[in-house]
Amino acid sequence: MDPVVVRGLAKTFYDEARGEVKAVQDVSFECHAGEIFGLLGANGAGKTTTLRMLSTILAPTGGSAMILGHDIAADPTAVRKCLGFFSASTALYPRLTARETIEFFARINQYAGDVKQRVDYLVERFGISKYASARVDKLSTGMKQKVSIARTVAHDPPLLIFDEPTVGLDVLNALEMHEVIKEFRAHGKTILFSTHIMSEAEKLCDRIAIIHAGRILACDNLEGLRRATGARYLEDIFIHYARG
Amino acid sequence: MNWQTVRVLFSHELRMLLRDRRTIFVAVLLPLVLYPVIFFATKSTTERREKNLAATVYKYAVTGAQAEQVREWIRRGAESLARAAPAPKSGSENLADFKFREITIPDPAAGLKAGDLHFYLEGLGGSEADALPQKESEPKREAAVETAKSSAPDPQIPAPKRLPGVPMIRIYFQGDRDDSQAGSSKMRDLLGRVQRLERDELLIARGFQIHPDQVMTTADTNVASAAQVTGSYIGRFLTLFLLIFLLSAGSIVAMDSIAGEKERGSLETLLTTAARRGEIVAAKQLLIVTVALLVTVIQIANLLAYVTFKLIKLPSNWTIEAPPATILTLLLLFVPLAAFTASILLMISAYAKSYKEAQLYFFPVYLISMIPALAGVLPGIALRSAIVLVPVANVSVAVREIMVGKFDWPMIAAVFAVMTLAAGWAVRASAKMLSNESLITASEVDMADFAGGSALFPKHVLRWYAVMAVVLFAVALNVPQLSTFRAQVLFNELVIFLGAALLMIRKYRLNVREALALRAVRPLVWLGVLLAVPSGLVVAIGVFRLANLIFPVPERMLEQFSRDIMPKQVPFWQLMFFISILPGICEEIAFRGTLLYGLRRKLRPIALVLTVGLIFGLFHVALFRILPTAFLGVILTTMALLTGSIFPGMVMHAGNNALSLWLGVSGYPLGNLTWPWYLAAAVVFALAFYILYRARTPYPDLRPQTSDFRPPTSDLRPPTP
Repeated sequence: MDPVVVRGLAKTFYDEARGEVKAVQDVSFECHAGEIFGLLGANGAGKTTTLRMLSTILAPTGGSAMILGHDIAADPTAVRKCLGFFSASTALYPRLTARETIEFFARINQYAGDVKQRVDYLVERFGISKYASARVDKLSTGMKQKVSIARTVAHDPPLLIFDEPTVGLDVLNALEMHEVIKEFRAHGKTILFSTHIMSEAEKLCDRIAIIHAGRILACDNLEGLRRATGARYLEDIFIHYARG
Repeated sequence: MNWQTVRVLFSHELRMLLRDRRTIFVAVLLPLVLYPVIFFATKSTTERREKNLAATVYKYAVTGAQAEQVREWIRRGAESLARAAPAPKSGSENLADFKFREITIPDPAAGLKAGDLHFYLEGLGGSEADALPQKESEPKREAAVETAKSSAPDPQIPAPKRLPGVPMIRIYFQGDRDDSQAGSSKMRDLLGRVQRLERDELLIARGFQIHPDQVMTTADTNVASAAQVTGSYIGRFLTLFLLIFLLSAGSIVAMDSIAGEKERGSLETLLTTAARRGEIVAAKQLLIVTVALLVTVIQIANLLAYVTFKLIKLPSNWTIEAPPATILTLLLLFVPLAAFTASILLMISAYAKSYKEAQLYFFPVYLISMIPALAGVLPGIALRSAIVLVPVANVSVAVREIMVGKFDWPMIAAVFAVMTLAAGWAVRASAKMLSNESLITASEVDMADFAGGSALFPKHVLRWYAVMAVVLFAVALNVPQLSTFRAQVLFNELVIFLGAALLMIRKYRLNVREALALRAVRPLVWLGVLLAVPSGLVVAIGVFRLANLIFPVPERMLEQFSRDIMPKQVPFWQLMFFISILPGICEEIAFRGTLLYGLRRKLRPIALVLTVGLIFGLFHVALFRILPTAFLGVILTTMALLTGSIFPGMVMHAGNNALSLWLGVSGYPLGNLTWPWYLAAAVVFALAFYILYRARTPYPDLRPQTSDFRPPTSDLRPPTP
């Protein structure tokens, strides 16, 4: 069974000003083990809502999803235990040091091994030993990004969800993020990745789902999408689907 | 619940709190210094004031046709003071350190204004006093001396009517000057003493056989121990002060706890971990309770240290006794009180999208929390009553009884159970809020802010009503021109209710027909309204009587209220206009019009009905009116939701007020109805609402009552072997 299987997922919420809003409608896809699966869509397309539902922050109003064999509605704690969630809006605790941050997230996610060893490994791996004892609010954006990634994988989860991870990063930090994600794939992790940047999706994703107005319009690898639309560039492919 | 996870979260939260120097300073250090400073400052100001007043030689002038007679009376009073002879004293007489000197001044009124005099007296002969308007010539209690002493006379003792020809002394003073007020009060006491001396002499001269003081003597014997007396004082306020400490200390941690995390973005990070919502809330709750209790204990220890070292002096007749049973029982009640307080604070924090918003919500909650804590201060409320079911109020009353040594164990157990259940409910509600997407992330852009106009109205509507409430209270208390019946009703109805509603419509460019629900209804609706008017009134009275079991309202207060809203000098047709027609139109426009429209998508129907009803009740100012008027508000809002129109509510509101006014004026004893009346009214009332339900044309565009979450079908689960 694929690590991520999504069937007919939907999210309708009630907005005071707009009334009923269908943020996600009948979304279905699956991620294969060890691949980078991209959700490509414009702002407000439903990417973040979908990923928040898969990480059980939000409850879906329809459909279902299984994450590594756990139902997101029936066993949300087990789901969260086996995934790491990273997004531009998931901030760190400013008054903790980098080391304390990683240790806290390893413990709270019930890391099965030796927490101290794991923290030492991650501090070394991400090159943050120089400022491991500095409080997070004293770190630069790049340093914070590294600590954030380290806390995402602190409990060594098999599935990683990256929701627009390069938003707000400069070119160098964005490139570093891409390298890290590729490295995770090389280590056998399954990665669910959302972006609105076409080049990023082209470069990183093994398969891409184009999401627009809360619906998945197409899902294939880049070659498959090219064949289906006759367009070469992902931007044209996206426009092709988005404009119907 | 995984307690290992709760422990990890708790130590994590505690570590972050200890690293926040500002929080430690504001929550612990500042009150530690501030409370004693405030106490000392108050004490020293009071002492200085008393010292100054004791040292003052009060300067006065005497004027009027009877000036000489007044001087003679004052001389007699001074002699009585100098001799320290036993004089017939009144209970409130306070002539200690009274030194006074008459000065001659051509214009005493100007002298008083300029500060050259503390007060002046005008002696009027009997015929002069007779010529005064009746209200002015009525004597004040104890002496036929005109004074404006601030303390209200006891209405139980009727003031004697002034007989024609009795001379009068008017004392003029400046009420805004402490020394003028104190001096005039002492002079009044002195003249009162002279009045009693002369009366006694007159009685003896006319053949009274014994000295008037020998008719009877009284002696008081207080059978309560000093500890019980002290306990009764402390017990009344202990819960209130504890709640203030708990809320002040807990709020600083609570506001940062969830609202602060939302603002920083770390809440979403935390929600993606393996920790459950309940575990996250439990850890935060534990932290708030710990800090709140710790700070409270530090503050109490701080005050006790000052008392022990005699830096703060307790009244001489106070004896504090704290047997272990009392302390343990108090703890048994204070721990769930702390847990409940922490839960409420956590709810505010979870509901707010930012730290600032949480602080905004905190203040009204702080004030509202004080109301039940005052139950212990109110006389006549016993723990063995329905009060035991009201959180916080039950602790307040229980503590008052425990402090005088009364341990009603079944009731104390009930208080503990109610408080624990209330705290549990609040914790659950906070955890639930962490699953509400609109409350999780602070960073979401609110489209209403961009759209503006009517889209922004639901966000702002409660602020408008908060401002309206503030204006209503502020004007009622501070503008004497609007204190008359007609002016007050006109201002409230036309300016506050109607004016604000129209202003909202204009500012947010609302569709008038939609915002005010100006829709026609089915003819059958009017039959329902016709039945609902009398039956609703009787049911509302029943609700009031039930509320009276919890918060008994003194009969005197009700009579005063009745006099205030039905002044005898106002003709009946005007009363009908001011009490029935105006509120029926203006209040319905404000509450079932704009308020209901603004909240219709914000709250689900049941919460909507209760909220609009409660806000309507809160605007009726007097504490004892809140519940019955909130009940009426709930009925009127339900009517608006069922019919989709403001008109049935207008007729019901005006009809209800008109009927109760008519019955009140005709002297019908509404309060003496027996239970079959209430039962019959409830049946008719239910029938009326059944008719409204059958003829319903529901209010459009409401938020659905049921949650939009449907558990997903688990069709992907691996087949069970």
